[in-house]
Amino acid sequence: MLEYWPWWIGALGLAGVCFAYLLLVGRLLGVSGSWAKVVGWRENRMLQQINEDFAENQNEMSDALMAETLAQFGDDAVQELQSESTPAAAPANVDIDNLESSTPWTAHLTFLLCLAVGAFATAYLTGSFELRYELSPVHTRIFGDTWEVWVALLFGGMMVGFGTQMAGGCSSGHGLSGCARLIPASLLSTLVFMVSAVFLSMLMEVMIR
Amino acid sequence: MKTSHIKTHFEYGLVGILFGAVLTRVGFADYDELHNMFILSDLRMMYSFAGAVALSMVMLFLLNKRIPKQHKIFQPGTVPGSMLFGFGWAITGACPSLVFVQLGHGALPALFTMMGIIFGVWLYRKVHGRFFGWDTGTCGV
Repeated sequence: MLEYWPWWIGALGLAGVCFAYLLLVGRLLGVSGSWAKVVGWRENRMLQQINEDFAENQNEMSDALMAETLAQFGDDAVQELQSESTPAAAPANVDIDNLESSTPWTAHLTFLLCLAVGAFATAYLTGSFELRYELSPVHTRIFGDTWEVWVALLFGGMMVGFGTQMAGGCSSGHGLSGCARLIPASLLSTLVFMVSAVFLSMLMEVMIR
Repeated sequence: MKTSHIKTHFEYGLVGILFGAVLTRVGFADYDELHNMFILSDLRMMYSFAGAVALSMVMLFLLNKRIPKQHKIFQPGTVPGSMLFGFGWAITGACPSLVFVQLGHGALPALFTMMGIIFGVWLYRKVHGRFFGWDTGTCGV
């Protein structure tokens, strides 16, 4: 059986992970961001493609505009226009918010899968690894052991996925990184998800009694 | 594949393994422990969490100039999203990282949670583009 760390070693460990993530990856820890990258990789790549195409075609675009102007108004109008206007227009800055980094989405996938690897290694080395068809005894006590558990997990998972994307962060992004920087939105978010989890857990505890 | 990409993958993988191991050791993979925390009968993990936040705060304060900006803002989805997440966490015992930790620990039902999360994230992206359209400031990217 796996002995859990006392709280202060756990705190050191979690803070160490935040530090390691900052050191190695260069950003603050946030797992739901990785999820967003992994699930939306196809769309992100398409957006990036469009972005790049647009940046490349800037010159083509202005050339075409110029040719049209020439055809429409003749030479004089263009020369007049050029003498009036400032020489070069500022380069258009096409930057979609999400795409500023060049980290490939597969790196995020690697990160997520390695969470399982790390957990498996720890469980295996401490001899607590076993394949189980139930989440835990308490979970079975609350939800029973029929197929309804699977439906509950499926819906619960949907709530987690949808909710973290909607809130813009999860227990690592808002909870660990955001609270550590005292960002108001993160403090609020952490408070709300902790309170709602406590509320529902208490409710479940009361209902099965 | 570029060399820099291999290095990036390696770094992400390394920190992933570390994070997974620590989460397991703290006990977050165990629904029972988590449930005990949520019904406030065993606050050990809550203290770990709070302690980690406090330590990170000190660390980030010391490094103040060199940390990248984080894009976390109030937006209309903050409260309802967090509530949904909290309820989901209480039901499944999984936050987006813990689902992998549970799976690595051998709990097969976590596969259902994972399918749910994938669908939820996908669904939100669809719904967001069509109906909401505000800035959520999701982590990192």
